[in-house]
Amino acid sequence: MTRRGRGAALVLLIGMLLLTLTGCVGNARTTGAYRGKAHLSAEAAISSLETALLAVQTSAKGNLFGSVLEVTLSQAEDDFGSVQQQFDSIQPPNTSEADKLRSRLDDLLTRGASTLADLRIAARRDQQDLMVHTAQDVQPLVNKLDALAQATS
Amino acid sequence: MKLLQVALGILTAIGGFVDIGDLVTNALVGARFGMSLAWATLVGMVGICLYAEMSGRVAAVTRRGTFDLVRERLGPRAGLANLIASYLVTALTFAAEIGGVALALELATSVNYLLWVPLVAFFAWLLIWRVNFSILENGAGLLGLALLAFGFALWRLHPDFGHLAHQIIAPHKPGSERLTTYWYYAIALFGAAMTPYEVFFFSSGGVEEGWSRKDLMVARLNVYVGFPLGATISLFIAACATLVLKPRGIEVDTLSQVALPVAFAAGKVALAFLILGFVAATFGAALETGLSCGYAAAQYFGWQWGKFVRPRQASRFHLAVLLTLIAATGLVLTTIDPVKITEYSVVFSAIALPLTYFPILVISNDPDYMGEQKNGRALNFLATVFLVIIVVASVAAIPLMIWTRAGQ
Repeated sequence: MTRRGRGAALVLLIGMLLLTLTGCVGNARTTGAYRGKAHLSAEAAISSLETALLAVQTSAKGNLFGSVLEVTLSQAEDDFGSVQQQFDSIQPPNTSEADKLRSRLDDLLTRGASTLADLRIAARRDQQDLMVHTAQDVQPLVNKLDALAQATS
Repeated sequence: MKLLQVALGILTAIGGFVDIGDLVTNALVGARFGMSLAWATLVGMVGICLYAEMSGRVAAVTRRGTFDLVRERLGPRAGLANLIASYLVTALTFAAEIGGVALALELATSVNYLLWVPLVAFFAWLLIWRVNFSILENGAGLLGLALLAFGFALWRLHPDFGHLAHQIIAPHKPGSERLTTYWYYAIALFGAAMTPYEVFFFSSGGVEEGWSRKDLMVARLNVYVGFPLGATISLFIAACATLVLKPRGIEVDTLSQVALPVAFAAGKVALAFLILGFVAATFGAALETGLSCGYAAAQYFGWQWGKFVRPRQASRFHLAVLLTLIAATGLVLTTIDPVKITEYSVVFSAIALPLTYFPILVISNDPDYMGEQKNGRALNFLATVFLVIIVVASVAAIPLMIWTRAGQ
């Protein structure tokens, strides 16, 4: 390989290494590490739920186009699904605290995913009243996730 | 007529200042850090003014492109390294802008952005191929003024401006954030404000339009008035996110979240303007980045380049633009999130910045090239201080990216 070829290969390698190092999700070896990951997951889940809630509230005021509402809810649902999938893929340490934490957060994430799906369906069917009614479930979920995030910080 | 030209240039500079990197990064940072990192945008704004003014002056005096001069002044090898790094960062930004246009069109239509990507790429190529340079530059820049909807929304939110100003003047890292993350995003904001392609495009445009010493005053007004006003839009974006998204714990990772504060505060008409602004700003930046990739390659290799000659006379320049367009479109079509591409592109912009800033600083100081138009003492001092800031940001960016897992 020429010197220039080696240089290009090195740049490519560094780029791939960077993307790998910055993008990967590791397993949690200790309860403390698992708690940290649960904390981040709860915060990301709150972000998706709050986005959906803000979009519904803005739409209810007549301030949002249907297309923007649909896209926002759909993306919030995708992001939430990604958070749930990432959290579920983490191998928890073999402690009862980690198992309890997993069960508690998993339950909230499952309920959140279902609520976001309901919101997306109502938005696409242009059922404004149903959407506003469903959105009432969001705040209690956010509060519980927030309590969990506080407890794991 | 001169006044009209100055006004048009300033308005274009304001509307053309913001691109997908500014939109996403300012909203993301505002939602996480409030206005405590606005200083990084302001520092970046001063930096881009200095950089663009020096490049514009070099273009007007020498009537040659940046990479032509870099190759001559630094030699072919250093020039080539410079070209490769700058080209890759600009091509990555090109991909982010194409994705940004597609995301904006998705907001307007609710049709998945991936279906828009090939159409956006085709229209970008068509406009670069067929449309007059000044129409490209002024059209996108003027329509980009629709982003002032952020300013209107901010006014409608009735904020405590004193409190916002205090956050800017006396910044405090939020207690929940790590210091390394704070500095990582400071570099991202700095990179978003100081994207090298804006300067390649500005100076290459100057060469294309045949600027001479007598055009320097207009160029300086565009830079010193237009860019700071453009940066104000960035601050409006961050302030809207601070007021609406931060209290709700919303972390920005989609373009729709960037738009929500405006819809929430100012309603559908403002939102319609905003989406128009998104499309114009990102499409304009897509044209600028695409052309900048062609400019960089053509100037270095000594090919005929530019929009003021027929495409047949600048065939290699247009081929370089087309190949870059295909690669950038391919990258977006891999379904990598365009917002993620944007987040990486602004940081890589900061990393690559010294490579083009340093040679421009050297050339703008060189009396053999610049004669009486070389940098004055005060400008030189400030530009050298910025060289230090740029180098520190560039060196720190990769370790911080790894340490913070790209700001997580």
